[in-house]
Amino acid sequence: MSVFLSSLGFGLITAAVLAIATVGFTLQFAVTNVLNLAYGSVMINSAFVTYYLNIHAHLNAWVALIGGVVTGAIVSYLINRFIFTPFQRRQLPPITIVIVALGVDLCGTFGLQAIVGGSYFSYKQSFGREWHFLGMYLSTLQLTIIAIAVVVLGLIHWLLKYTKLGKAMRATSANMNLARNSGVRTQWVISTTWIISGGLCGLAGTVFAMDTGVFVATSAQLYIVLLLAAMFLGGPGEPYGAMLGALTIGVATEVSAAFINPEYKEVIAFLVLLGMLTFRPYGIFGKEKTL
Amino acid sequence: MAFYIATIIVYGAVDSMACLALNAEFGFAGLSNFGFIIFQAVGAYVAAILSMGGWKTSNAGFQQYVLGWHLPFPLPWIGAALAGGLLALPFVFLVGKRLRGDFAAVGLLVSAVLLNQLVTNFVPLFNGAAGISLVPAPFQGFFNPQGLQYQFAYGGVAVVLCVLVYFLLRRMTESPYGRSLRAMRDNDIVADALGKNLRVQRTSMMVLGGMIAGLSGAVLVGFINLWSPGAWGYAETIVLFAAVIVGGAGNHKGAVLGAILVPLGFEEITRFLPPLSNPALVPALEWVAIGLLIILFLWFRPNGILPERRRILSGVIGVIEPVPTGDDSDALINLGKIDQMDFRSLLNLETASTSHDVILLSENLTRAFNGVTVVADVSIEIQRGRLTGIIGPNGAGKSTTLAMLAGTLAPTSGRIMYEGRDITSMPSHERARAGIIRTFQLASEFKRLTVLENLVSAIPRQQGDTFWGAARGRRFWGQEDKVNIERAQEMLEGFGLSQYADSYAGGLSGGQRRLVEIMRALLAEPKVLLLDEPMAGVHPSLAHKIGDQLTRLVDSGMTIAMVEHELAIMDAFCDPVIVLAEGRVLAQGTMAELRANEEVVEAYLVG
Amino acid sequence: MSADLSNPGQILRAKSVSAGYDGRAIVHGIDVEATPGKVVSIVGPNGSGKSTLLKAIVGVVPVLGGTVTIGDTDITNFAPERVATMGVGYVPQIDDVFPPLTVKENLEIGGYLLPRREVGPRIEAVLEFFPRLTSMMSRRAGKLSGGERKMLAMGRVLMLRPSVLVLDEPTANLAPLVATQLLEEYIRGFADSGSTVLLVEQRAKAALRVSDWTLVLGGGRVVLSGAPKDLENNPVFVESFLGGGAAKR
Repeated sequence: MSVFLSSLGFGLITAAVLAIATVGFTLQFAVTNVLNLAYGSVMINSAFVTYYLNIHAHLNAWVALIGGVVTGAIVSYLINRFIFTPFQRRQLPPITIVIVALGVDLCGTFGLQAIVGGSYFSYKQSFGREWHFLGMYLSTLQLTIIAIAVVVLGLIHWLLKYTKLGKAMRATSANMNLARNSGVRTQWVISTTWIISGGLCGLAGTVFAMDTGVFVATSAQLYIVLLLAAMFLGGPGEPYGAMLGALTIGVATEVSAAFINPEYKEVIAFLVLLGMLTFRPYGIFGKEKTL
Repeated sequence: MAFYIATIIVYGAVDSMACLALNAEFGFAGLSNFGFIIFQAVGAYVAAILSMGGWKTSNAGFQQYVLGWHLPFPLPWIGAALAGGLLALPFVFLVGKRLRGDFAAVGLLVSAVLLNQLVTNFVPLFNGAAGISLVPAPFQGFFNPQGLQYQFAYGGVAVVLCVLVYFLLRRMTESPYGRSLRAMRDNDIVADALGKNLRVQRTSMMVLGGMIAGLSGAVLVGFINLWSPGAWGYAETIVLFAAVIVGGAGNHKGAVLGAILVPLGFEEITRFLPPLSNPALVPALEWVAIGLLIILFLWFRPNGILPERRRILSGVIGVIEPVPTGDDSDALINLGKIDQMDFRSLLNLETASTSHDVILLSENLTRAFNGVTVVADVSIEIQRGRLTGIIGPNGAGKSTTLAMLAGTLAPTSGRIMYEGRDITSMPSHERARAGIIRTFQLASEFKRLTVLENLVSAIPRQQGDTFWGAARGRRFWGQEDKVNIERAQEMLEGFGLSQYADSYAGGLSGGQRRLVEIMRALLAEPKVLLLDEPMAGVHPSLAHKIGDQLTRLVDSGMTIAMVEHELAIMDAFCDPVIVLAEGRVLAQGTMAELRANEEVVEAYLVG
Repeated sequence: MSADLSNPGQILRAKSVSAGYDGRAIVHGIDVEATPGKVVSIVGPNGSGKSTLLKAIVGVVPVLGGTVTIGDTDITNFAPERVATMGVGYVPQIDDVFPPLTVKENLEIGGYLLPRREVGPRIEAVLEFFPRLTSMMSRRAGKLSGGERKMLAMGRVLMLRPSVLVLDEPTANLAPLVATQLLEEYIRGFADSGSTVLLVEQRAKAALRVSDWTLVLGGGRVVLSGAPKDLENNPVFVESFLGGGAAKR
């Protein structure tokens, strides 16, 4: 039982990071209809910016964190503005855009590696004392990350449900033409969505690196699988589904790692993803679109 | 230096084989197999473990792996090809389902990563992350694998295999079967409705591609004598795709060119760069370059350096590309010769029946989407030898009903009977082969096939339209194909569009494309032709001419049911007529009977 | 019908408009004028370009030739969101609501261009017009029935206080009685209270009943146009739409 609980603790932190990342990812899909496979590279680049600001420029950790968030926001916006949008204007099949995204991912990840080299980086700061409750063991850092996740997701919920921009985002993703006919400047809404989701991406990358402790330029490359699993579980383009999916995947992978060989914990995510794509690509709660 | 050349030759041949196979899947059949690398990997592993002895007794037992049967050459290579083909089978479901192209591709990519993880972590399988080394080279008992002669001979064998693969794949794609593959790639729903068995086609190409990939893996591992998960990761998968895109998807020579430029060229270029301060920089920059290459090519030259070639079937030199003009070109289409066309012989029609028995009917057909009932309890009858009209306002469920009759859509409940048999669960491609052919309301031509190819692709029972038929080569199907092409040309001539025989169907005007669709549907030799708003978007004078021809077809023995929503068309050509409204049958009968029905007249016939 | 739901109309003019996707014109040289207080309808078979014409006017489809003006302002090829700011309310034939948003949120998006404090009162006004929507405010639009959806679609466009209403087959999918009510009470009512109404309608006779002027499209061009009285007596019109002639077979 204690094994279960302690793994549940790990599950929560994994889920927290994953939730931030997945919500950003799914928002991008919602308004632009592209699977942004370059997301991982933006995550890791933002993580490096934070690291650099914190460790080398000796800035306060929170300030550095903001630096990472801003990096994610700006880079994501640029990628959409200068790469995805022009390609989409050409009305190419979705598969082409995915290949382009892969190309961007390669540039982003290995461009970073070219700059910082292939060695591992680590946050040598202490993680704070360890807190022990309900059978879970979590460090100060991890609790902070979970708290950040809760706050940020709460903000996203408030944004989507109660603000004009949030409703415009949901309207744009549901029916862009109708939104435009109602006077919504959808180009602006889309750009803003990419900035916000890019910020989430940057935040996710940063806390991912902090939580993992030790990271390298290619650390986030495989993260995309967890992201996709969480997104498809909750339904592509559904932010609330993303949160739920992330919680499920995060907890499931860590809890399963406690009982089976931990090296296989990602397999759960893979299998969930393949299962969803095969049987319910519109998510557990989603509905098939009419013809 | 000489050793270097031998290595280049082997790598070049291996990469070319892989790219040819991937191109066959992606460029010709439209399968976005982002997991392609695993088929090459499994081939390499299987060739290795088949040629090595049991792991405990060989090499002091320092690496673990399964099998280890110590088989002599060429058995390991055959095993590798088989393994590649077998591995493809479970993945067909991902490319087969009605899943968005990018979703399916991502699923395959993820599968590749998953398998890589599994192999890395489950050591007893293929020795985990360390991989398998000391893989014996073929005939190493007899020759010295390190010697130059051996390596050149090896290279020669690799090249020969590559050439054989090239000719095999070309034989497959330049056949009626290849036409069907490309049709599936361009518009799979329509290909399905014309009788192509998509699942079989996709499975065949995945398996064939998998076998060739497996063989390429075997060739590679026999030369470099080791193989590990690091050789086939996430990024390696993308390189092959980049190669196909750069070289030219849909072109075999393009695939080879891409293989030489990208995996080979890139790798080799780095040897000639001056040494840099940070040696780790080079591999990273390579990947950046590949990423840039992908983006730039897809932007500037998405068809690759050697794009897909146009297939000229008509034998005429010089292709006319239709210039988009105003719609008047439709009015000017000369259907004059069409009245001389002998439909009965051209389309193998049975003699016109006088009994007008019911050939196709539905019983209580219902279809709901997410709780909204679009078609409710529709029971209609289509009589043989008549031109039945199905009319109703937009949203009445006409197209949905037609789709269910044709099999494109499954009913929520109800039955469909055809010539006395219950076909409710028969898939649409089988219905097409049984003689139920439908057209679509929106543009449904195969855009990257020429007009002639569009037409010929629909002709049923072609000997060259199966996997094995294509494999037997032109000598097997060539004569029949020639006859089919002539039939299609005769049809084109009658409809006044001969000059566009070798033009890409996507470039024609709206009315011209509509005619191509009708011709294509006719060449599929329907017993029952289901037309979905064939007059929509067509110039009125042309619409009238089409209506006249439909009447002639019915007089020659065909059964036609036509969905339309204009009373004038019903009035002029159709009898009997079925009126649908809000998903239900409002009335059915002859025009005279309907005019007497007040409800119908008030609500629907006169708007 | 309440006059404060719409603004006094403006004149909508399309002159020699040709429009279509990818540089290929679907409609050619169309002239149509809609004036305040009048209903102008466009009828014709599927594929004749009716929807395309409307979409070109509101900016969804590119205009390849000719001009579209509202009053004195040239709005040719304005982005749809800009056309909305000119007071043009457009209801498409399908995809006319935001399915995942609630009824209330749909209306709120309809009032996107309004200052915040006006949104609440506008919603109240629209609900007075369509009382059935009041009990469904927190229901998702995707779960509404056909008639309810159409009401919501009309409600959404009314939030804007449009001076010009452009409607694409508003009665599609509706039961005949509901369709008649929509046309004769609501749509005619908008015009009577001063708005400009341009609509595409499939049911030709019903359209004639509520229109002041009707255009018949065929093959992307205007084939006939006139006041309903004149068209009803025009043999060509009668032949095409009222099915007078005996069957040719």
